[in-house]
Amino acid sequence: MSLREFEESPLVVGAGGLWREATEAEFLSAIHDGNLPREAFQRWLVQDYSFAKGLATFQAIAVAKTPRSAQKVLIGGLSALDAELEWFEQNAQRQALDLNAALHPTCRRYVDWLIASAYTQPFEVLLAILYGVEASYLCAWSALEASGTYAEFINRWSNGQFVAYVRGLLDVCNRHTHELQQEQFNEVLRHERDFWRMTWEG
Amino acid sequence: MLHESLWQQNADITQRCLEHAFVRGLADGTLDRDVFGQYVAQDAFFLHAFLKAYALAAAKCDDFQRARIFHELMTGVLDELKLHASYSAKLDIDLNHVKPYVATSAYTDFLLRVAWHGSLAEIMAAMVPCMRLYAHIGNELTSSLRPEQPYEDWIKTYSGDEFRQLCARLESLLDEVASDCPAVRDAYRYAMQCELNFFSAPLENHE
Repeated sequence: MSLREFEESPLVVGAGGLWREATEAEFLSAIHDGNLPREAFQRWLVQDYSFAKGLATFQAIAVAKTPRSAQKVLIGGLSALDAELEWFEQNAQRQALDLNAALHPTCRRYVDWLIASAYTQPFEVLLAILYGVEASYLCAWSALEASGTYAEFINRWSNGQFVAYVRGLLDVCNRHTHELQQEQFNEVLRHERDFWRMTWEG
Repeated sequence: MLHESLWQQNADITQRCLEHAFVRGLADGTLDRDVFGQYVAQDAFFLHAFLKAYALAAAKCDDFQRARIFHELMTGVLDELKLHASYSAKLDIDLNHVKPYVATSAYTDFLLRVAWHGSLAEIMAAMVPCMRLYAHIGNELTSSLRPEQPYEDWIKTYSGDEFRQLCARLESLLDEVASDCPAVRDAYRYAMQCELNFFSAPLENHE
């Protein structure tokens, strides 16, 4: 699947080397090589669930600040996020993981920043932040073939429906530009980079 | 009292702050001047967020008297920023264009997230540690204060009656609006951890 439309989008190009740092990770390489430690996977699952809860808060506030013409993609995304949270909960239950475990400081920093930004940044910037979160996740997971132990996980963030969602976010970003978008988009990528490092290093 | 219980529960972090190289350097006057300058710049950046958090807390108050106390606390922050401004000329630092360290952003993002999104109780729990810890450090350091010490102004500001009274007012508010629950305990402890990291950052970022 070609991801050029995202990789060549102005915000990604403007981010320079940060994009690669946010979309390539030892955690993902270990999935590819078939040697991901179980501990790392479980850490990722618990922390990513907490992140998704924070993202839902961010997105709900973003919906409220966004004009009607750009709301549809955000509202649709919220609905998908609800399904994703349920999917995390079922997975955690199967693996007997405690989803109420303490937030890792790296995850906490990311979520605090997202929610504080939701209240303080203009809606155009919130669109760019959300595009950064989802486009980087799409491109990171899409580098893997959806097979093996983690096929279900890889497929969740590399399937056609997710691509269409990210395309919708890119479209609203392109229609609502703002001078602060690039700076905050880059900040997303720094948090993504740190999050991936945390999943691997603990 | 809730404020005392929270303070005691976090005595381990308080001790680590008192033993921290940065605080020891303030105490004996040996702290590198540039490191102190960077700390002042980061602290000024932090205080702008702290000021906003007070304003947001005031906006969440139905009780007019409480809102009045927040007004006084905001005045206290503005006075603190005057101290920082006085350092900026002496230390040749620009307080208007501060690039926050990761530790600073972590603290201000946390504070602003809680201030915008959290309850009044959580906001108080997130803000008290800064006040109580600084009053405590000021008090501890003033007992061994030597004359002509380069950080005398800093120590005197935080050991002074005025600062102690502001701290006591904030702690009384915490006791009034908060109950002993996980969200309050978590906000308090995380703020204490942020304080500790805040002391480390200027040393770690100093070249």
